[in-house]
Amino acid sequence: MSRAPGYLKSPTLLLIVVVVAYILGERLAGLMTLDALMLFMYFLGIAAALNIIMGFAGYVSFGHAVFLGIGAYTYILLVYFVPTMNSLQKMGAGLGVFAVAVVAGLAAAAVAATIGAVVLRLRGAFFAIATIGLDFAALYIVKGVVPTLNPEQFYGAQVILPSWAIVPKEDVFNAMLLTFLLVILTNYAVRRSGFGMGLLAIKEDEDAAEVLGVPTAKYKTIAFTLSAFFTGMLGAIFALNGGGVDEGIFHLGHSINMIVMIVIGGLGTVSGPIVGGIIYYWLYDLLLIHYPGLNLVILGIIVGLVVLFAPEGIIGILRKLTFQGVRLRELLE
Amino acid sequence: MVNVILDLKNVTKRFGGLVAVDEVSFSVRRGEILGLIGPNGAGKTTLFNVITGVYKPEGGRVIFKGVDITGMPAHRIAKMGIAKTHQIVKPFNDMTVLENAMIGALFGKRSGKIGMGEAREVARRMVEFVGLGEKANHLASQLTLHEKKLLEIARALSAEPELLLLDEALAGLNPREIEESLGLIKRVNEEMGVTIIMVEHVMHAVMNIAERIVVLHYGRKISEGSPEEVANDPEVITAYLGDPSLALRFVRRRGA
Amino acid sequence: MDVSILAINVVSGLMWGCVLGVAAIGLTLLWGVMKVVNLAHGELLLLGGYAIAWLYVTYGLNPLVGALAALAIGVAAGAAIYWALLHKLVGKVDIITLRIEMSTLLMMFALSIALYNVYSHVTRSEPRGIGLWHVGPTSVVKFGPVAVQMNHLFAAVLALFITIAVHLFLTRTMVGKAIRAVMQDSQAAALVGIDPVKIKMFTAMLAIGVTALSGFLVLLYESSIIPGTAYKYAPLGFVIVVLGGLGSILGSFIGGVIIGVVYGLSKVIVAELYSPMASDPIALSTAFVILVLVLLFKPEGLFGRR
Ligand SMILES: Nc1ncnc2c1ncn2[C@@H]1O[C@H](COP(=O)(O)OP(=O)(O)O)[C@@H](O)[C@H]1O
Ligand SMILES: [Mg+2]
Repeated sequence: MSRAPGYLKSPTLLLIVVVVAYILGERLAGLMTLDALMLFMYFLGIAAALNIIMGFAGYVSFGHAVFLGIGAYTYILLVYFVPTMNSLQKMGAGLGVFAVAVVAGLAAAAVAATIGAVVLRLRGAFFAIATIGLDFAALYIVKGVVPTLNPEQFYGAQVILPSWAIVPKEDVFNAMLLTFLLVILTNYAVRRSGFGMGLLAIKEDEDAAEVLGVPTAKYKTIAFTLSAFFTGMLGAIFALNGGGVDEGIFHLGHSINMIVMIVIGGLGTVSGPIVGGIIYYWLYDLLLIHYPGLNLVILGIIVGLVVLFAPEGIIGILRKLTFQGVRLRELLE
Repeated sequence: MVNVILDLKNVTKRFGGLVAVDEVSFSVRRGEILGLIGPNGAGKTTLFNVITGVYKPEGGRVIFKGVDITGMPAHRIAKMGIAKTHQIVKPFNDMTVLENAMIGALFGKRSGKIGMGEAREVARRMVEFVGLGEKANHLASQLTLHEKKLLEIARALSAEPELLLLDEALAGLNPREIEESLGLIKRVNEEMGVTIIMVEHVMHAVMNIAERIVVLHYGRKISEGSPEEVANDPEVITAYLGDPSLALRFVRRRGA
Repeated sequence: MDVSILAINVVSGLMWGCVLGVAAIGLTLLWGVMKVVNLAHGELLLLGGYAIAWLYVTYGLNPLVGALAALAIGVAAGAAIYWALLHKLVGKVDIITLRIEMSTLLMMFALSIALYNVYSHVTRSEPRGIGLWHVGPTSVVKFGPVAVQMNHLFAAVLALFITIAVHLFLTRTMVGKAIRAVMQDSQAAALVGIDPVKIKMFTAMLAIGVTALSGFLVLLYESSIIPGTAYKYAPLGFVIVVLGGLGSILGSFIGGVIIGVVYGLSKVIVAELYSPMASDPIALSTAFVILVLVLLFKPEGLFGRR
């Protein structure tokens, strides 16, 4: 490793710095709209959030839309019904939004900790199916309950923020950026920690990990909860930016976006979801412009090709290579 | 009084109607190598799984260093100082040899009190001790069966255990590899002071290396004693007669 | 509580349950035989539905004949899907590991994204159906206070018929017996000379054929279908497969009936105790609560082996 040139010491950190610099540059240059930049961070953010449980521990959750939804509804309903929360979100040029989003994230985390403790006993497809079930349970419950909260004002399960609850876009942007940084750096910290090693061992062979002393049940639950926390925060800020929320937030498609980004980028690394997210965002845009209507069809085909021919994803392939005598797997985290 | 590290009292484990381990009792002395033998399906692996907490026994007690560990979760038992290698190797395929061993170090005896750097040091020492030093940065999936078995041992040793359970660490190896592994096991026992229980099918190997032998048959303990005592026990011979190839090896050994 | 409302809901739940049960047969077969979790199940169900609707609207083809066409299309799609998407992952392996299982799951998931969006593109997400076409001379049958739509009754009866047919196919024919053998133990099946690749392909053809055929029942039941209909039936299908037990045809049917009846009952109860507005979605959510409970406490399902 001593042979590695300086700039190659940690390509992952370099990647993170470049991405953040890109976002800030675009923000200053003003070429991309704030909405487009926020969508970019949102995509990469949710991929990184899911990565904690799916990429590191190997548990493919189709239910993360639930946490997006819980975060979104918690945020929107809080500022709608609780005046202090509404004042809080307007303070500190985005810090207030961040604070309320933390509350929303905690709500998602609390649900994750409760159901995670039981659902994480299931493995593989059974876990995936159970999380699909949770998603639909949550969808139908919200569809049933939310309209009854304020039947005169809510349109079905849709809650639109009234003008008195709107926050300047710049503030929302700042909160999104902060959350984005937090989730990416958490990924990085987890990957380099003993906790992260334990999660990777769980992904490889859960029974062997347990016998070696990895507290598998506890680690899985923590990873799931942490993952849900960030997902909830991102869902909250996403909804705020959209000016409200409806039951569509629970759509399986949202979970699917996250999974696809990780699959394209590669499991088990910090850079995987970042690279996967960038490609997905770019493809999504590109295909939308050139093949409107068929964009998702093509995306589906691309995912299929990745599963068939590059199951390790892009980073997985890179990690097999050697560059200037250095094995990339030692560097690419 | 002899220093007992592990004490099994009437341990019973059932799978539905099948009694895989039936009221088994014996003690292991600190510092010894104990052989655990028996025909296929005798319940040896299952007994190891009960000791390490993978299975909860339906009856009996497992006492380790004077503490009742019956029914404790496996990861806590690992921290108390018991490590195991798997009969069917279970390497973390997508990790390097060194990373595999690091898992052992991070979550073993010093779990929570050991940093990444130190864990890497311990892991490296153990990987070199078993002779995989040159392969430290190879992916576990690229190893041969022999190397994977050595990796199992390195990973277990990285936990710095007091008691090591080896489940058929020699099975599937050629005679030269068996000799090497036997030397390794002896060094683990003598240089590191680790107590060892080894389950083995390669009979003469256990007979040479173990001070005492326990024999299981259909889940029950049918004999216990020095290799000579066990080899001459009529009940043991009858038990092995059910398995002609083993019986043959047994007879050869007695003749030798 | 009005008893006749209860009776109406239970009866309609029962009939819908029969449809749900049959719609899950394909799912249970694929999962049971080769551990393929078919996330494109809803879309393949709609494949049949759309084919029938299109043939009816464009050529005036009787939907009963259209159903046979749907079956044929499904069987062909099954073969194509097996060779194009699944063979490389499951064809040559005896033991399907967790990793392979997740790969096929993602594969079918990719197919579902593609198909879903093809449907949305082609139909512009507008409803498709067979309008007022109905099976018998009267559109409603009365059993005392309970009035039942002829189409629903017919769908339920046909569901029962298809279930029996698939059951007979699996127990009486050579191919069916081989499929069951592979389901129980693929290695042992290979030892007695059953070609596992062929059996896996036949399974995909049978499973997806029955799935497309049940699209007819869905069409009879829903007045019209949209791409989003897939998101209603596929998840319920998973609930039923888990409840009934992987690979069990009988389990699938009974699981469907249970889910249908529980839905009908909870709808009445929620309307009575909480709010009529919330009754339909919350009644649907019970199915998923059942799913999670079964996975946790009886993972082998009602009729499955562990
Ligand atoms: N998880 C299990 N479920 C059911 N039966 C098992 C299980 N593990 C082992 N058995 C049965 O218990 C008996 C003992 O097996 P095992 O402990 O593996 O024997 P050994 O290691 O001595 O060959 C065998 O009959 C085996 O089939
Ligand atoms: Mg064994």
